[in-house]
Amino acid sequence: MLTDPRTIAWLGPEIVLIAAATGIVVAGAFLRGSAFATMRIIAAVSILAAGAALRVGEANHWMTTETGEWTGPLVCDPLGFLVRHLALFAGLLLTLMLSRGADERDGTETLGLILFLTVGAMIAARANELVLVFLGLELVSIPTYALLYLGRNDRDGSEASAKYFFLSILSSAFFLYGASFLYGIAGTTWITAPEGIASIRDAVSRDPQPFAMLGLALVVAGLGFKLAAVPFHFYAPDVYQGTNHRNAAILAVMPKVAGLAVLIRLVVMGLPGVRNEVWQLALVLSVLTMTVGNVCALWQTDLRRMMAYSSIAHAGYLLIGIAVGAAAVGDPLPYGGVAASVYYLCVYSVATIGLFAALQSLGDGSRRVDSLDHVAGLGVTDPWKAAALAVFLFSLAGIPPLAGFWGKLTLFTTAIGQALRGESSMTPWFLGLALIAVANATIAAAYYLRVVGYLYFRTPPATSADLPSQSGPAGGLAAFLAAFLAAFLVLAIGLHQGPLAEWADRGERGLRALEPPPAAAVRATGPQHADIADRRGSLREPPE
Amino acid sequence: MSPILGPILLFALLAAALAVGMLAVGSLVGPRRNTPVKEMPYESGMDPVHDARRRFDVRFHLVAIAFLLFDVELVFLYPWAVSNKAVDGIGAAAPDLPFFPLIIFAELLVFVGMLGLGFVYAWRKGLFRWP
Repeated sequence: MLTDPRTIAWLGPEIVLIAAATGIVVAGAFLRGSAFATMRIIAAVSILAAGAALRVGEANHWMTTETGEWTGPLVCDPLGFLVRHLALFAGLLLTLMLSRGADERDGTETLGLILFLTVGAMIAARANELVLVFLGLELVSIPTYALLYLGRNDRDGSEASAKYFFLSILSSAFFLYGASFLYGIAGTTWITAPEGIASIRDAVSRDPQPFAMLGLALVVAGLGFKLAAVPFHFYAPDVYQGTNHRNAAILAVMPKVAGLAVLIRLVVMGLPGVRNEVWQLALVLSVLTMTVGNVCALWQTDLRRMMAYSSIAHAGYLLIGIAVGAAAVGDPLPYGGVAASVYYLCVYSVATIGLFAALQSLGDGSRRVDSLDHVAGLGVTDPWKAAALAVFLFSLAGIPPLAGFWGKLTLFTTAIGQALRGESSMTPWFLGLALIAVANATIAAAYYLRVVGYLYFRTPPATSADLPSQSGPAGGLAAFLAAFLAAFLVLAIGLHQGPLAEWADRGERGLRALEPPPAAAVRATGPQHADIADRRGSLREPPE
Repeated sequence: MSPILGPILLFALLAAALAVGMLAVGSLVGPRRNTPVKEMPYESGMDPVHDARRRFDVRFHLVAIAFLLFDVELVFLYPWAVSNKAVDGIGAAAPDLPFFPLIIFAELLVFVGMLGLGFVYAWRKGLFRWP
């Protein structure tokens, strides 16, 4: 395959970030002392520059076209556009979150690694080729190993790094094994392609053999680890507890962003040939994941351990959208499962990073705020940070009018919509899914609101040693700035959810219009099918 | 003699001459100290006969990683060359762009440059500073 020069132009934001990250790491080895503050500004500016490059490079494109364009290994479509924005914003918050005291020694390396894993999530967001998908996933994982090692130098910290490292490479092996089956069936690494070019989607649609199911199961196992879905979640509580707030934020968000994007492109859109198996698998995983996550979170007293179970539970919610999207794939009416999932991913990511940033800003370099008792009475001692924490907790619990409420609402309504409009055999399954999800949201409210209760209705601990942020500057102004930005966004999305919802919807419509309908759907549908074929036809015209 | 065999023969002769020459010069000019340590096999700092569970310096590991840096670089050069065969006009037609071969070459330079920067970083961090 020749290198398409346009690919280089479309990778502009990623190139900016990689150059900045390399420069920061190498320059950090030469500069000693006060380099960290400057480097953090450079990192933040480079993320903003990458965002500008993203807008300049693609804004005109989205003014004129609806669906996007197929360019080989990289897909340029609204879903990728949205997820890349999310990755950049998460990267910016994480850059701000670095605490000065704790990270002074390896600060520049940490900054560079955060930029690298942002690039990994951005590549995974629009990879349409198995090798590139794997590259994106690994570019998220490998910097995470190093970050976990740099994060803490005690026994728990090394346990966390070792546990995450070994389980993560095991999951990568699962993913590769599954990908090799898909490659064996199709004879190509393209996931989807225009008609006339061999792709995994076509090969599996034509002949859904048992090997396709084997490949599906292995790929979902590998991606389930990234999402922390239930049979693959065992690492999460120990690793989150054993590391620091910033690493926990990275673990809770970045692998999920990359994993969900790959799940949408490779499993939901790439394997419509086995779509019944896909939605059944996603549905069962979703029910297990949210139930186990929420129930186990109920009796945690360590904040990061609680958030680990919370992130498991949210992976379950994300899988609702995957199940709905997979059940509706090839159907000319987009039922919004994928859009709801992506929307939920955005609101979850912002609230989770914000929560960890607020916790980080409470502690300082030498001590962290770890357990529930450490935040008791914070509403009196530090009202601003307590208010920010409360906003994130309410949003994660799904209390209106915050962003998390709309995320949960769209997910649950798409599940009910699929039950009503899908094939009749699906109805009990998706109704049950919606009911279990609602019950889970109630369980989740219990432990989130317990933290809010600690914030406002407990007296601060009596001994001064237990008091966080007693003297001197706490975890850093920048971390508080990150928390403030995230809180603002959670409120803004909650009150004005239109733009984000529209982009998520465009993402799903773009995906569906870009791909040819599978053979089964062509038979089943009449007039609407012409509409899709029409849109697909317009794609082949050369872009302006 | 066929015209192809000539260069091969020359190459074989040169290789043999180089090998023999290096051994000969080493044995003629090199100093000779027959201490017991010098006569052990693999006398590169490690005791060749010992318990398999012995600890060894973690810096061997680091040097191995630095070696891997350039080993992997070499492995990547081959697919790069093969996949861009068409630029030369041998395979399928290359896109009709003014600086296309230069872009392909720049691609490789970027890759090698990144590895070089990694090497500079490792050097600066004291990877090769053995007390």
